[in-house]
Formats: sequence, C-alpha cells, structure tokens
Amino acid sequence: MPHKWAMVIDLDRCTGCEACVVACHAENNIATAGPDQAARGRAKHWIRVERYWEGEFPNARVRFQPVLCQQCDNAPCEPVCPTFASYHTPEGLNAQVYNRCIGTRFCANACPYTVRHLNFYNPEWDKPLHLQLNPDVSVRSVGIMEKCTFCVQRIRSAEIQAEGEKRELKDGEFNPACVQSCAPKAMVFGDLNDPNSEVSRLSRSHRSTKLMGELGTKPNVDYLERDSWQNGKNI
Amino acid sequence: MEKTSEQIRADLLRPLFSTGPGYWTAVAIAASMVLAGVFAFCYQVYNGIGVWGLNSPVFWAFDITNFVFWIGISHAGTLISAILRLCNAGWRRPVTRCAEAITVFALSIGAIVPICHLGRPWLFYWMVPYPSERHIWPNFRSPLAWDFIAISTYLTGSTLFLFLPIIPDCAAARDLTRGWRRKLYSLLSLGWQGTPRQWHRLETAMHIMAIAIIPVAVSVHTIVSWDFAMTPVPMWHSTIFGPYFVVGAIFSGVAALILAMALLRKFLRLDEYLQPIHFDHLGKLLLTMSLLWVYFTFAERLTTWYGNDPSEMAVFWSSIRQQFAPLFWTMVVCNFIIPFPFLAIKKLRTITGTVIASTTIVAGMWIERFLIIVPSLEHKYLPYSWGTYRPTWVEITLMVAGFGMMALLYLLFSKLVPMISMWELEAGVRKAPAVPRHVVSLKPRPATGIAESEPFATDLSR
Amino acid sequence: MRALYALYSDPDAAQRAVNALKTAAGSLGIADRQIVVVTAEPFDGYDFSDEHAESPMFLIASFTGILGGLVGYWLTRFTQVSYPLPTGGMPIVPPWTNAIIVYELTMLGAIAGTVITLLVMAGLPQFGESLSDPEVWHGKILVGVTEPPEKARPELEKHLRQAGASEVKATA
Repeated sequence: MPHKWAMVIDLDRCTGCEACVVACHAENNIATAGPDQAARGRAKHWIRVERYWEGEFPNARVRFQPVLCQQCDNAPCEPVCPTFASYHTPEGLNAQVYNRCIGTRFCANACPYTVRHLNFYNPEWDKPLHLQLNPDVSVRSVGIMEKCTFCVQRIRSAEIQAEGEKRELKDGEFNPACVQSCAPKAMVFGDLNDPNSEVSRLSRSHRSTKLMGELGTKPNVDYLERDSWQNGKNI
Repeated sequence: MEKTSEQIRADLLRPLFSTGPGYWTAVAIAASMVLAGVFAFCYQVYNGIGVWGLNSPVFWAFDITNFVFWIGISHAGTLISAILRLCNAGWRRPVTRCAEAITVFALSIGAIVPICHLGRPWLFYWMVPYPSERHIWPNFRSPLAWDFIAISTYLTGSTLFLFLPIIPDCAAARDLTRGWRRKLYSLLSLGWQGTPRQWHRLETAMHIMAIAIIPVAVSVHTIVSWDFAMTPVPMWHSTIFGPYFVVGAIFSGVAALILAMALLRKFLRLDEYLQPIHFDHLGKLLLTMSLLWVYFTFAERLTTWYGNDPSEMAVFWSSIRQQFAPLFWTMVVCNFIIPFPFLAIKKLRTITGTVIASTTIVAGMWIERFLIIVPSLEHKYLPYSWGTYRPTWVEITLMVAGFGMMALLYLLFSKLVPMISMWELEAGVRKAPAVPRHVVSLKPRPATGIAESEPFATDLSR
Repeated sequence: MRALYALYSDPDAAQRAVNALKTAAGSLGIADRQIVVVTAEPFDGYDFSDEHAESPMFLIASFTGILGGLVGYWLTRFTQVSYPLPTGGMPIVPPWTNAIIVYELTMLGAIAGTVITLLVMAGLPQFGESLSDPEVWHGKILVGVTEPPEKARPELEKHLRQAGASEVKATA
C-alpha cells in the first residue's frame, strides 16, 4: 500500500511560538529575506504562523494558524505549470521540481493559500552561517519557485532506510522539521493510508476542518479546532 | 480630386525613397527607448527578478499587463483586414496594411514580453514542444502552453496575412526602382508577375486566410484570458473573461489603428487616401466596441456585487472605492466618458475627434489590464497574505521599451513597404462589369489608342 | 526570353486582343500557354481574367487543417501518455484541454496549407525571367506572346494592333 502523507495541526494547542518556522528555515536552506525585502512583502517562510485578532479589549482573543503547503489532492498549482515543475507524486505530495522551474509564477498565483515563494535573488548566507546548510536539501537559485515539501528529504531517507532493513515504516519514526520542533506537540505527521497512524486517527476527529476546504482543493492538512473561526465563537 | 494609376503608385511609393530629418529623429527616439529596455532587461537578468516590484502575493503585475495589452492591440488587423474583407466592405482598402502591420508587430512584442518576465528567462525555450534531452514535454494542460501554441499560430498566420498582399506591391517597387532597391524587392516579391492565374490564387488564399484568422484571433485572446480565469483567484475565476478580453482586445486594437492611421496620414502625406470617411467608419466601430466594453464591465461588476462573496468583495471595493479607485475611475473616463461624445456625435467624429478618443482608450485599456491583475492578486483568500504592489524603474523602462519597439518597427516598415496596399486600392476603384464580356456579345468599338486610365474616384465609401 | 506584347489601357481592348490571339493560335503555331496577360491588379468579369478562377485551394486547406488537427491530437496525447505526470487531480490525457491545442494546430495547418498551395500554384518563387513591363504598374494591361515563331510575328503584331494598341513591343 503506497503511503499518503498528511499532517494534522491542533489549533487549540498552538501557542504561536514559531519554532516550526525557524526549524523549517534551518532544515530546508531557506535564507532570511532581510528587513528590506520583508518590508516589500518578500519574506520567505515555507510555513508561516498567521495571527488573527478577534474581539475588543478586554475580550480580545488571538488565534494562531500555521499555514504551509497543503499538498492538495486537487492542487490548482499543478496543472498550470507549463514545464511540469509542479506535479503530484504517487505518495500524495505536491512536488516542486526545481530543475524544471522557469519562473512563470503561475503556480503562485493559482495557489489560494499563498504558500508558494519565489527566489527573487540568489540566496546568500553571511559567513559562517553557510556552514549550517543542510546537505540533503538543494539550494535554489534565482527565479525558482519553492514551497513546503513535507521535508521530502526526510521521507525519502526514512523510506530508503526501511527498504534497506526490509521492514515497514513505523508511525512516528520520522517527522518533518516543523513537526519535530513543535513544543506543545500541536503538529502530527504520518501516513493517512495507515488506519492506525496518529494522523489517521486525528483526521477523523470531530474537531477536524480543512482550510478553505470549500474551494475543492482537497488539502491534506487537517486543522483541529473546538470552535471554528468562521463561527466566531469564544471559548 | 482624380488621380491616375501612375500618380497613385508615385504617391504611395514616395515614402520609400524620400526620408526627412523628422523620420530619423523619430527612429532615434524609438531606438533609444528600445535600448533602454534592453539595458533594463540585462540588469534584471544579472541581478535577479527581485529588481522588479513583485512580491508575495502579487507575482504578476506590469509584465502580464503589458503582455495582455500588446496581444490585445494585435486584434486590430484581424478585425479590419479579415472581417471587412469577408464582408467585402470597400472602405477597408487603404486601411488593411496599416492594420495588419500593427497586428504583426504588436504580436511580436506580446510574444517577447513573457520571455522577459520569466524568473529564468534563458530557459524560455522549454515552452517549445520538442523532443528534448530532458525527457519531458510541455504540460499541455497549462494555459501557458496553450498561450504558446495559440500565439505562435496567430503570429504565423498574421505574418503571412501581412506578407501575401505585399508581394504584388513589392513587384511594383521592383519594376519601378533601380540599384539595391531593385534587388531587395526582387527578392521580396518572389518573382511575382501578375498573371490572372496568380491573382486568382492570391485572392483565394487571402480569402481562406481571412476566414481562418478570425477564429484564431478570437481563440488567442480567449486563451490569454484563461491565464487568469483558470485559477481560483477572487474575481479571476469567471466565465466572462473569454468574451470580455476579446471585446477589450478589438476595442484597444481599433483605437491603436486609428492612431497609427492618423500618424501615417500626417507624416507620409496620405491625406487623399486616408480620408475623414475612414476615420468616421472606424469611429463608429470604436463606439460600438466602447459600448460593448461598458456592457461587459458592468455585467462583471454587477454580478460580483450582487453575489457578495467576501473574497470577491474585498477585490471589488479595492477597485471601486479604495486604493485603486483613482485608477478605476480614470479608466472609465478614458474608455467611455471622454470617447463617447467624440464618437457618437457625427460633428465631432472627425479625424481629431477619433484620435482624441483613441488616445484615451489606449491609455484606459492599459489601466484596465492592470486593474484586472493587481487588485485580485493583492487580495486573495487569506487576509494575512494580502499585499501591495509598486512598480520599479526596471518594469517602467521595459514598458516604455515596448512602446518604443512598436514605434521603431512601424517606422522601419513604412520605409520598406508602401503602407497602403496599392493593388487593392486600384482593384477597388476598377468596377467589375455587370455582364462578363464574351466574344459573342462584344460590341465593336472604335480604336481608342492609349487612353487615360479611369480616374481615381475620391468616393471610397463603397 | 523572347516575347511580343502590347499594352492596353482598356480591359475590353485587352479582351479583344486575347480573343484574337486565341482564335489565331492554332494557325500561327503557338500554344495557349504562350499567351500571357499581365496586370497590376486583379480584374473581375473578363474572360481573360476569370479563366483560372477555379482552384482546389479550399479543399487542400481543409485537408491540411485536418492534418494539423491530427498532429495536435497526436502531440498532446503521445507526450502525455509517454510521461504521465498527474497534476491537480486531472486525467493524464484531458480531452477538453487537449482540444484547445488540436484546434490551434488545425487552424495553423489550414493556414500553412493555403500558403504553400498558393506558392506552388502561383509558381512562386520564380526568379527566372518572366514577361513584364513597368507600364503595367501604371494601369496598363499587358497582352503578349512568349517565344513567338519568327514567321508568325507580323500576323501577331497585326492582331495586337487591331485590338487597339498603338505600339507593339518586343523583348529579345
């Protein structure tokens, strides 16, 4: 049975600490944009924690939502890429093939979650930060689109390891960097095709919603919330 | 005023031989605009696409605005040349070549813009379907792949559509010139002789191509509009985009044609050939397109407002009331308020009147393309990701270079080839006899000697 | 290329000349294809101009159009099946989007077919010598005979003059 990778994020646990953001930068060789570029709207975070305020003081409430590539089954970013740089893998991931990308940026426009990012310049790391680059992940050059891959390098590494050891992958054996670094354990990652995995169990929860599921993109990230944002209820 | 065949040819071939300092000044200005654009593009390739004003989420702005704008302008030639040719409207004859030239040049510029907008422009050829060593073909499900095929087809078709009727005029130029010009036109005319067989083949070919090029033109701009409509972006994902863009294209194309004709009339001294009646006819056409544009704009905005979808309304209000309001209402004024009196009132539908209307329309249609793209991208579904856009000098320079390139190509073309199709003009003047002459019914006539040709009739409104 | 020709300003006169030449063609030993008419624009409604009106160009254009459509169908389907990369939940060979490519290549095929047929049937490009005269571009109609037999020349000149030409020219 092929794997189908999915993620569940419990918004009732998320504290907005953004450890996931930092971990993702470190794992995936994402350069920081710098204050000037960020001011121009070019901050590049494969996972970002959106913060929304609701209500007025003294009844103000803040809500954090980590948004990353939803690895949609019906991804709108995939059919529009003229060079097949964006396509769907057999394991349910939306792959971004850096070598094929010519930078038309159509995928970024088509993505309703705005999770795709462009390398506006060649990324640079001030010394000695260049020593901290992850050798398992390529460094993308200018003009190439990039986005969250569910740390596909970790997935492939674990799969190859398991194959070499002639065994199945265990649930929770490996995690993407963001899931690994989540302190309140709000994020869970695993194989949806395995009915016993934590991800399968949680996605069946009554608190489970999809972000903009009504668009029909069939995202593979479930958000768990006791009261949905749309209802605007306060706990 | 009556003109002989000889005078017509002399008038229309004169610009090929006599060039004043004004021409060279115009060429210098246009060429410097193009050079500035080349410099800006090299700067962009060297430093990265970041030198533009794009950001997340506004990944397309000036680049695609210019792309859609130039493809839109290219619909001038098709409408005038092909549709009027099929309707056998006589007044089209002096106008066809200027129109077809606009189409070819605007399409060429429109084809270059997407290459310049790529993040990695040196890999643009990956859009071409060929068996590559990368073991991959273009994704034919992508609207950009459709764009590539459609624009290539349209460019090929319009270039041929422009070039075929030029052949007899090049033959005339060949026979009436000497030296290097004679050699050049010998090559361009492909050895055209002018036998009835050749004329028939040419006219049949033009007829077939006129029939073929119209659906191609409609499909091209529809496919360009689907670059937007095929995405789930608020106020992009609408079925109205296909027809809306085609109408907008013809609208801006006719306006550009009127401008080009007015300039040609003035600078090539073609007053007797491009007459007020032509501008009057085109003005009426422009009025129709303006009203159609208003209809489509109203229909699109009304359905959005009535539907009251929150994501769409965010885009809607940003155009109508908030940060894009000045641009939006300028567009309405440029596309409708100002042109309407100049085009609807017969007394005002003069050459000056139509030129004023056309200038504002060309500006207004550029703004319209911009307003389709940027407000929607600035306000996509998640408010956290909303953004703003400001162009940089690189994008503005590239835009200006596009206009410079158009002017340059047009200027060079007007020196190479007569801007009015001589043989079509003459063929229109010569009336076909009501009854074909047969040997049997031929009435004997006294020997006339070499008489003057039929005088050139000034009434070209047939 | 040797030729004998006259220029007429009146299409009726030109028609008379053509008729006379055709009638006398057999007796003078010249073939129909040696009788050449050259004009600066197309004429309608005269026998000399309408002779070659029929052509299979429409049919050929339709055929090449269909050919282009088949090429489009093959290109899209073959490439999609050869490298099946699923995108966005769409089928690997989506018929509706492929139809766009098929349509465009049909039109391209029709256009290309038309142009190639035109070039072939009009005998272009033709860089050899062909009979013409600059006066044609001033509105005259040229009617002449290429490679006339020497002994037929006076007879031909007579026919051309009778139709209304004041001058009969010859090229060496």
